[in-house]
Amino acid sequence: MSKSKRELREQRRAAERAAVAAESRRRRIRNLLGAAGLAVVLVVAGIAISAAGGAKAKPVEHSSAAKLVAGLPEKDGVLGDPNAPITVTEYLDLQCPICADASKANLPHLIENYVRTGKVKLQVRTLSFIGPDSVTAAKFAHGAEQQGKLWAFLETFYASQGQENSGYVTPEFLEQVAQASGVDAGKAAAFAGGASAQAALDQADGAAQALKVDSTPSFTVTRDGGQEKVVAVGLEDLTNKLDKAIS
Amino acid sequence: MARVASIVVAVIGLGIAAYLTVVHYAGDAPVCAIAHGCATVQKSDYAMLAGVPVALLGALGYIAILAALIRDDENARTAAVFLSLVGLGFSGWLTYVEIVKLDAICIWCVGSAICMTILTALTVSRVLTASPPELARAH
Repeated sequence: MSKSKRELREQRRAAERAAVAAESRRRRIRNLLGAAGLAVVLVVAGIAISAAGGAKAKPVEHSSAAKLVAGLPEKDGVLGDPNAPITVTEYLDLQCPICADASKANLPHLIENYVRTGKVKLQVRTLSFIGPDSVTAAKFAHGAEQQGKLWAFLETFYASQGQENSGYVTPEFLEQVAQASGVDAGKAAAFAGGASAQAALDQADGAAQALKVDSTPSFTVTRDGGQEKVVAVGLEDLTNKLDKAIS
Repeated sequence: MARVASIVVAVIGLGIAAYLTVVHYAGDAPVCAIAHGCATVQKSDYAMLAGVPVALLGALGYIAILAALIRDDENARTAAVFLSLVGLGFSGWLTYVEIVKLDAICIWCVGSAICMTILTALTVSRVLTASPPELARAH
């Protein structure tokens, strides 16, 4: 009799424990679902803010971007005195944010100290590996080059650069950049649509491959009659490296 | 055990986020094994959320997770799960942005996303496997 009482007591305790465990499990799952629900709300709100903040290109600024190269001669995309003994070539992609940084941070020194003094002439090879927007922009840039306005176009484009591969390089966007940099948009667009623009892109790609240039911006230096040599890749210590290579 | 592992992973994540935050404010490009990718990601418009660098938000997130891991009660466990899920969700979004929109991968960001994934798995398992406190008291 007493044994059966103990058994009953143990059974009751086991049942209580099971009930407590089940209730605890239900509570924990409820907590988990609540936390997940709240997390989803927060993440969705964060994504909405993030997506609105990203993407779109900045409006084209009628900025002083093109002032940097104002007054300098430009022929076939080569900026500065055509007889300058040293040629600095920049391999760039118009969509590359670091190229825009280099243009703001390092090109002014190069242009003021070497190009304006007739020691260096500056040219670019427009690569287009980042994506379709790069191709559209590079072809249009060659259209600007035909008008002797490549550099004004490049600097203005950088000042209005949008999010990579967001599709921001539309005909309207290019027209605005062209207007702000004094380029005839219609003529540039017509050139961009032709075979010569594609040929210019292929030529730039070929030059980059020959030098094993695979990231932008890369800078090369060619002395009169000499071989083209890569002297700097990226922004790190760029001005010093160029100074050293030129002097 | 899961708690100790969570702390280790959160500290690693905090290290990554802190590095990216420092790089952001110093204006440098992160050291990156894949050329071009990290700087592209770090300098993109998606690197900021309402004016705050996402790297800083990540660092604060890891600090909050670590704070939630100090105690081992039910509320703290739930808080750790909540924070990890938010981190996981936002890491997922940023990884999507890297692959689809930027076409550039930042290896540090991938590292942080992996930390958040592991943290979520660990913190969820802690909530589900914990023994009920009522029974612990009964013993």
